[in-house]
Amino acid sequence: MIGSSYNGIEMTEFLMGNRILARAAFNAGAKIMFGYPITPASEILETWIELSQKDPSLKSLQAEDEMAAGFSTIGACLAGIPAFTATAGPGNILMQDAFSMAEALRVPTVAMIMQRGGLSTSTVIYSQEEVRLTCFGGNGEGFRIVYSTASPQDLYDYTLKAFKAAWQYRFPTFILADGYQGKMKGVVKMETKRGKKDKNVVPILKQGVNLRNCYNLEEEIGEVIVNYSDEYNRVREKIEEAEEYQMKDAKVILIAHGIVAAAAKPAVDFLRKDGIPAGLFRPITLRPFPTRAFAKFLRQVEKIVIIESALGQLSELFKAELYWINVPLTEINKPAVGFTPEEIYKTISSLQ
Amino acid sequence: MREKPRFPKCYKIESKPHKFCPGCGHPLVLKMLGEAVDELGIGEKSVFLVDIGCSLLAWDYFNLPTAQTHHGRTIPVAIGFKMADSQKVVIAYVGDGGAYAIGLHHTLTSCLRNDPITTIVVNNTLYAMTGGQMAPTTVNGEKTTTSPEGKNEEAFQTLHGPEMLTGIANKNAFLARSSTDKPLVLKQYLKKALETQMDGNYALVEALSACPLNWKTDAKETIQRLQELEKVFPLGEFKR
Amino acid sequence: MTSNEIKVLFAGEGGQGVQVIAEILAQAAFLEGKAASYIPNFGVEQRGGASLAFVIVDDKPIVYPKFEKADILVILSNRSRERVNEYADSKTKIIKGPAVEEGIKTKLPPQVWNIVVLGEINRIGKLVKRESLIKAMDERFARQFKRKLELRKLDLSALNNERL
Repeated sequence: MIGSSYNGIEMTEFLMGNRILARAAFNAGAKIMFGYPITPASEILETWIELSQKDPSLKSLQAEDEMAAGFSTIGACLAGIPAFTATAGPGNILMQDAFSMAEALRVPTVAMIMQRGGLSTSTVIYSQEEVRLTCFGGNGEGFRIVYSTASPQDLYDYTLKAFKAAWQYRFPTFILADGYQGKMKGVVKMETKRGKKDKNVVPILKQGVNLRNCYNLEEEIGEVIVNYSDEYNRVREKIEEAEEYQMKDAKVILIAHGIVAAAAKPAVDFLRKDGIPAGLFRPITLRPFPTRAFAKFLRQVEKIVIIESALGQLSELFKAELYWINVPLTEINKPAVGFTPEEIYKTISSLQ
Repeated sequence: MREKPRFPKCYKIESKPHKFCPGCGHPLVLKMLGEAVDELGIGEKSVFLVDIGCSLLAWDYFNLPTAQTHHGRTIPVAIGFKMADSQKVVIAYVGDGGAYAIGLHHTLTSCLRNDPITTIVVNNTLYAMTGGQMAPTTVNGEKTTTSPEGKNEEAFQTLHGPEMLTGIANKNAFLARSSTDKPLVLKQYLKKALETQMDGNYALVEALSACPLNWKTDAKETIQRLQELEKVFPLGEFKR
Repeated sequence: MTSNEIKVLFAGEGGQGVQVIAEILAQAAFLEGKAASYIPNFGVEQRGGASLAFVIVDDKPIVYPKFEKADILVILSNRSRERVNEYADSKTKIIKGPAVEEGIKTKLPPQVWNIVVLGEINRIGKLVKRESLIKAMDERFARQFKRKLELRKLDLSALNNERL
C-alpha cells in the first residue's frame, strides 16, 4: 500500500516528532502525563490530551509549573502507574528538583527533554546543550538512564525502551531529543496496539513502606549512595547502547550523538570517498555511557573528533570514561547551532 | 490502676518514642490524625506524604505508606498519586513554610482545581527545623532569627491560609483551622477533611501548633502563646 | 545527494501559511511512498516573524532534515529574502509568491496565495503528482472543507492559479 501503510501489526505514518513521542508513550503503557506549556515540547502534552479524549483510561494534567509536573509524575509512579512528563530548557532546570527526589527514592519517572539552548531562556529551537543537566542534574551525583535519539523512528523505539528500562531498573529515565527532532516530520513505523502490561509495573509506595530522602548522619546517606552506585555499575552493561557506523577499520573516529550523529553519517561516507578511514561512534545511552563498546576500538583509533551543538558536553562525558586514551582529540563545538553533513565533512577534511 | 491510653492502630510502634521535641505540637496533631484514620476505618487505604521541616520527622510515624517529599512539593506529589489511584485517601502533611511560602502556588492551584486530597498545615509561625526563621504566618511583632526586631505587619502581611482560600475554593471544599490546644475539635476537623476527600472535594485544615524551642517559652508560656495565636488566627470552619 | 533528492526551502512571515504548504508538500510525497522530511524554523513571535521551512523529498530515507543549498527556494515575502540568501547558489530555482516584488501574478485572493505558490513549486520542480497534493490538502484541511465547501474549490483553483 502506498504512503501510510498498515499491515495489521505496524503502521507507517508521516508524523511530527512530538506527536510520535506521545503515541509511543501510549504504546509503552503510560497512563498519565503531567506537563507545562513550553516550546518545543508543548505538542507532546497536546497530543496526549487528544489521545485521552478518545481513551478515558488515560489522564493528563497541565500543572502550575514544571516543578509540580515533575513531582506529580513521581506521585503517580509511586502509586504504580506509568506516568511521564516532557520539558525543555528552563523547564528542565525547574524539574531537577523533582528528578533529584526520583533519584533518591528510585522512582521510575520518564521524561522527554526537547533541548532548546543552553543559556537561560535561549531560543525555543534547538541545541545539544542540556546534556550535562539531563545526565547529571539534580544534586549532581544521582543515577539516571539517558537515551539520545537521532531520528523519528528513534523517538518511537527509545520511548518504549525508556519505560521498560525505568521500571526494570528503577532509575529516572530520559529521552534526550531536541527541538529539531520534536518539530520535524518524518516517516515512522509504530505498532498499532499498546503492548501487554509490563510485569515490573507495580505500586512502590504501599502498605509497610516508609520512604525518606532526608537522613540524619553522613554515614547513613553515604551508605545509600554507595549501594546505588554499586547497583548501577552492576547493571550498566545491560543498559549501555551505541551505534557503530563504518567502524570496523576506522582510524579517524567521529563521536557525535542525537541529530548531529545523523548528519555525521553522510559525512563519514564523503570522507571515505576521499580515502580517509573514518567511522562514526554514536553513543545512544549517554548514561550509562557505552564505554565498553568504544573500548573495542582502542587499538585501532588514531584520531578522535567529537562534534556537538554545545561546548564540549558530550566530550566531557567521553573524557570522563576514557580519560587514559592517548590519541589526538579534536572538539568541533557549535553551541546551539546545528551541522549539515557537508559542513561536518568540510570541517574534518580541513583537519587532515 | 489507670489504664494507659492506647496508641492509634495505625501507629508504627517501632518508631516510638518519637523524635519530636518535648512540647512540640506535631505529636498532638499526629495522634489526632491517627485516631481519625482509625475511627473512619481507612487505615488500609490511606497514604501519608510529609514535607521537609519538622513534619519530615513523621516519615516513619505511621504504618501507613509514607513518603517524604521535597520542600513545598508535597501537594503535587499527593495530586499525582491521587490521579493514579483515586481509591486511596491521600494526605499531604506540611508546615506553614511548605504550604504558604515555597509551596504557596501549589496550595493555591490545588484549591482552585478542587483536588480531592487532604492538606494538613501545621502552623507554628516559623521555620522550626532550620532554627526559627520568619515565615508567612509569623505574627506582628514576633521576633525570629530573620526578623530580630520583630516582624512588622505593615511591611509584610501575615498570611491567613484558610481565609485566603475561601476566595477560590469550590463550594463543597472544606477549610478549617483548629489548635493543638483543642485536640478533640482538631480531630473532628481532620475527620471531616478526610471525609471531604472521599466525597471528591478539596480539604485543608490548619492546626495552630507550638514550638517551645524556637519560641523560647516554657510550658506555661507556650500554652499562653498558643491561646494568643488563636486571637490572631481565628478558629473554626471557613466557607467561600 | 542523489539525483532524486530535491531540497525545497520556504521563506515567509508568520501568518502567510508557509508551514502549511511545506507540510502539504512533504505529506504528498509520503503518500506516494517517497521518503520525505519537513522541519520548520521560526522564532517566538506568533505573527510577523521570520518563518522558514525545509522540505526534502527523496527515494531513500532522509538522515538530516536541513541542508546548505536549496534546489528550490520559495520566497513569500520581501523581508524574508535576505534571510535566505545563503541557501541559494547558481543552480537554485527561485520562486516568488504574489506578495513579493516581481512575484507570481494571480487574480486570486491573498488567503490562498500560499496554495498558488504550492502549485507553482510542483509545476517547476515536478516533485509529486497533482493528485497527491490534492489528497494531502484534503487531509490537512478536512475540518475547514467540511465547514465550507467553497474553500475546497478555491484551493483547487489556487493550485492551478486559475480563477474560479
